[in-house]
Amino acid sequence: MRQDTQDFKQLRRLLAIKRHEQPPPGYFRDFSQQVIIRIQAGESGEQAAFVERLLWEAPWLKRFWEALEAKPILAGVVGVALCGLLITGMVYSDRAEVPQVALLPTPDQMAAVSAQTTNAVADHPLLARPGALAQDSSTSPLAAMPAEAPILGDITKLRAQPVSFTFPSGN
Amino acid sequence: MKRARRGDLTAYDELVRRYQERIYATIYHMTSNHEDANDLAQETFIKAFQVLRSFRGGSSFYTWVYRIAVNKTINFLKQRKNKAQMSLDDLDFNAEHNPDLVALISEKTPRREASLSELQEKLNAAMQKLSESHRLVVTLHDVQGLSHEEIAKIMNSNIGTVRSRLFYARQQLQALLADYLG
Repeated sequence: MRQDTQDFKQLRRLLAIKRHEQPPPGYFRDFSQQVIIRIQAGESGEQAAFVERLLWEAPWLKRFWEALEAKPILAGVVGVALCGLLITGMVYSDRAEVPQVALLPTPDQMAAVSAQTTNAVADHPLLARPGALAQDSSTSPLAAMPAEAPILGDITKLRAQPVSFTFPSGN
Repeated sequence: MKRARRGDLTAYDELVRRYQERIYATIYHMTSNHEDANDLAQETFIKAFQVLRSFRGGSSFYTWVYRIAVNKTINFLKQRKNKAQMSLDDLDFNAEHNPDLVALISEKTPRREASLSELQEKLNAAMQKLSESHRLVVTLHDVQGLSHEEIAKIMNSNIGTVRSRLFYARQQLQALLADYLG
């Protein structure tokens, strides 16, 4: 402490020169008014004010933000990490949504579906009793067609016919 | 203070007037630039108003605003690093008649006014070579005359840290300004 009071005496006197450094005359006359005008104008906006309040009340967040601002490399690393996290999340979510079924049905499944469709058409009340459509609807021309010629009436009677071709010989 | 916390701008205007010079001076001595000090001082008071509701009165308003100013200034300096362009405030008339300053420079040069400006520039250049924390303790203690206890509160550290930083800061300044010290 002896050194503090003696050796630095001249330095402290020299530092006193800084007390004489003054802003332009009249500077402080308008200073507070400018501050108030900026506050009234809501220069920073409500959102910025919210962010300021948040940073003030959560010091760790503030320190983290300051570290990002001061060190661009750290900001880059955090950015890359966030992007990586986002991409990983997207990839995993895509995988989770893929249904666990085969894209093409097996021959057994196709046969079962075909049989169900044929039975459903044959059992449908409108197709089995064509006059019902005409009674239920007076606006549909299809429904008003003669009862003896139902449009889909013969579908159930259709059967596959084997076809054979004979190719002329000599070629 | 209560009125200002409720959003009364007239009351806040009074608070700004009370502390504006000290806050401006602290920022100015840290940045050595009038324009930067002006912007940062205004932003300090705007931010203080925005977060005034969270001021719980644990410390004095004076210490609290100082802390905002110091944090803002240090952040600014970290971003500005090595881009300092000095726009120094002029020395007032009293500087030429300060017996301590006159004694310091009288033997160096007969042109007192010129040498005072030169000294001011050298001094500020030396200040800018200190780290932010060292510059801050010198500014608050040797330029603004705050006590170690007040500085510790503002910097959120203990008195021992303040004393040791002050000592090392002065040592560095003494080396940098050796030509002007006997």
